[in-house]
Amino acid sequence: MLLPEIITKIENQFSDCTLDTTKFAGEDIIHIKSSSILEILKLFKNNGFNFLADMTAIDNLTLGGFERFSVVYHLLSHETAERVTVKAYVPEDEPELPSAESLWKTADWQEREIYDLFGISFTGHPNLIRIMNPDDYNGHPLRKDYPRLGNRERDNFPKVTRGINKDYFNE
Amino acid sequence: MKQDDIKSNFLTTTLESAVNWGRKHSLWPMPFGTACCGIEFMGVMAARTDIARFGAEAVRFSPRQSDLLIVAGRISLKMMPVLIRIYEQMPEPKWVISMGACASTGGVFDTYSVIQGVDKFIPVDVYVPGCPPRPEGVVEGLILLQELVDKEKFSDYSTTLKK
Amino acid sequence: MNKVPKAMKTERMVLNFGPQHPSTHGTLRIAMELEGETIMKGTPEIGYLHSGFEKLGEYLDYNQYITITDRMNYFSPLCNNVAYALVAEKLIGLEVSKRTEYIRVLMCELSRIADHILNVVMLAVDLGAVTPFFYGFKLREDIYDLFELATGTRLTTSYTLVGGLMRDIPEGFDKAVLKVLNDVDEISSDIETLLNKNRIWQNRTKNIGIISKDDAISYGLSGPMARASGIDWDIRVNEPYSRYDEFDFDVAIALNGDVFDRYLVRMEEIRQSVKICRQALDKMPEGDVMVDPDLGYSLPPKDEVYNSIEGLIYHFEITMRNRGMTPPVGEAYVPTESPNGELGFYIVSDGGRSPYRVRTRPPSLINYSIFPKLIKGHMLSDAPAILGSINIIAGELDR
Repeated sequence: MLLPEIITKIENQFSDCTLDTTKFAGEDIIHIKSSSILEILKLFKNNGFNFLADMTAIDNLTLGGFERFSVVYHLLSHETAERVTVKAYVPEDEPELPSAESLWKTADWQEREIYDLFGISFTGHPNLIRIMNPDDYNGHPLRKDYPRLGNRERDNFPKVTRGINKDYFNE
Repeated sequence: MKQDDIKSNFLTTTLESAVNWGRKHSLWPMPFGTACCGIEFMGVMAARTDIARFGAEAVRFSPRQSDLLIVAGRISLKMMPVLIRIYEQMPEPKWVISMGACASTGGVFDTYSVIQGVDKFIPVDVYVPGCPPRPEGVVEGLILLQELVDKEKFSDYSTTLKK
Repeated sequence: MNKVPKAMKTERMVLNFGPQHPSTHGTLRIAMELEGETIMKGTPEIGYLHSGFEKLGEYLDYNQYITITDRMNYFSPLCNNVAYALVAEKLIGLEVSKRTEYIRVLMCELSRIADHILNVVMLAVDLGAVTPFFYGFKLREDIYDLFELATGTRLTTSYTLVGGLMRDIPEGFDKAVLKVLNDVDEISSDIETLLNKNRIWQNRTKNIGIISKDDAISYGLSGPMARASGIDWDIRVNEPYSRYDEFDFDVAIALNGDVFDRYLVRMEEIRQSVKICRQALDKMPEGDVMVDPDLGYSLPPKDEVYNSIEGLIYHFEITMRNRGMTPPVGEAYVPTESPNGELGFYIVSDGGRSPYRVRTRPPSLINYSIFPKLIKGHMLSDAPAILGSINIIAGELDR
């Protein structure tokens, strides 16, 4: 099925979960609520969009939007060379979403990265731990209210002593 | 023995100069290359600019077998304990060259996760600026380090002798 | 699957292939569980070079971020610059000149040659063949000289700007490129002569790390790793950008999906890149390399900035902190074919002078995620071969 037909099918079948469908710079974007994300992704996968190109998240604190966080999926169809963007909106007080790892194995590490940098958890993920920052890190760096310079973790290491006269570092 | 035989068979020097001469012409590097500067360091070791000419012949990737640590590239929060551990594993005498802007001061990356200069936590002898430094710049850093090594004294490495 | 004979059963040993290791593939850590020499389970750990690129993108300008994109994939930095500039231009809606696009294609293909050569010789060094390292680095130094002629630096070029290029290519550049292309042909065929029919190379790379076609699609692989498993997808052909549809070249595909096939695909792509470079030089159009300054997005050349008042005003309108570009509110994503796979930037804009969110689709991270599945059951000495064939670049993996 071609993309415009799939979009009308989604609007008819999932009309209570679809928030909007927009177009920008020639690409289609579908905005949905996060509860029905797995069914919509399965619909796309069964209709030719077999490749999950990218998965990321956006913190809409100052941009505005339906909710605070939106998880973005970029899908690609190898047969028809069409791309579509699916945005699932996640509220701030309960940042949870079903995991797409059962559909595409590539979602495994991408979801770990989103959890590490934004704090959005994915139910049904086999191993949801931090991937980029150290395991005992506090906070989620890419949120808009986290300072760019961090909370002084980068100054928190011991100075090395050599114990000889040449230890000009610790004088 | 005749006077000419003595002149051509004996050499007088001080022990410190002889030891420093040996040390400076055989600085075996240990490249701690993390990012782009690591690739430039591979270019320094390759055929066009060849630091083997200056004695840095045996590039061993083990800290126990080298005496020059070249920190090339940005050091992140997760990597800093590794760097400290590797520095402590090297036996004395040891020197550190901080190659590139990111190892010296943090470079362009003033963020939550990049250490703003390794010299906050380990002692550095020579800083080589650049992003990444040209291979000729690294060679100049090595030559400056050789001049520094030449001026060292035995009392620098002692725990009992006063300076 | 290599079975350990019953008489030699031992208990499981955990070996840490630590973040500091001799094979210079960047800062990775793999915790391997071994039984004898067979790997039972390998858990990779990444994040040792995480520098907060995406957080920096929200603080820097559209043009300033181009200097950060070079530090991501430092084997072929020009491909990153081109990918970012394409997305920013799609977001704003700018049309660049034909000469800009041809020069971008030429630079991308030269970077592709440099990246593939480096990956092949590092794989050879890991497996013990040290001679191709010196041949390959001589070639890489020649390509660095070309970059220095055109852009001013060897590695971190920052050559493109939003709307065009930083400066035009100088006189005599095409002769220099043709000379290097002849060297590329000669040296890459020398490397193939050393390696292709070599018994040891074939034994160490054939039937190692086989990726099936379904796995490749499910794990999101792209680039030479996917094409070596039989997937016929090359963004330069299927979704062309920057006038790639005006060039005539073939796509290299292999069917077995092992390490040897990935090496063959990369060597063939080097030959095709040489073909594209020759065509780009022959058909290079005339024109200027920056969009019209009246649109409000182009940085004028430096001699106009210093010597004329209009140049100074245009420069200040874009770079001063209380002014800057005013792109429309929206988002854009453009996939490009980098030497590793599908590289794309995803920019969300809120109308201000800096992007609201910049995301890189990292081909190294996504290609690396299949690694634990690949090394299961292989011997310990196959792990560097498989790791070398994935082409992991730590800057892009961790960002």
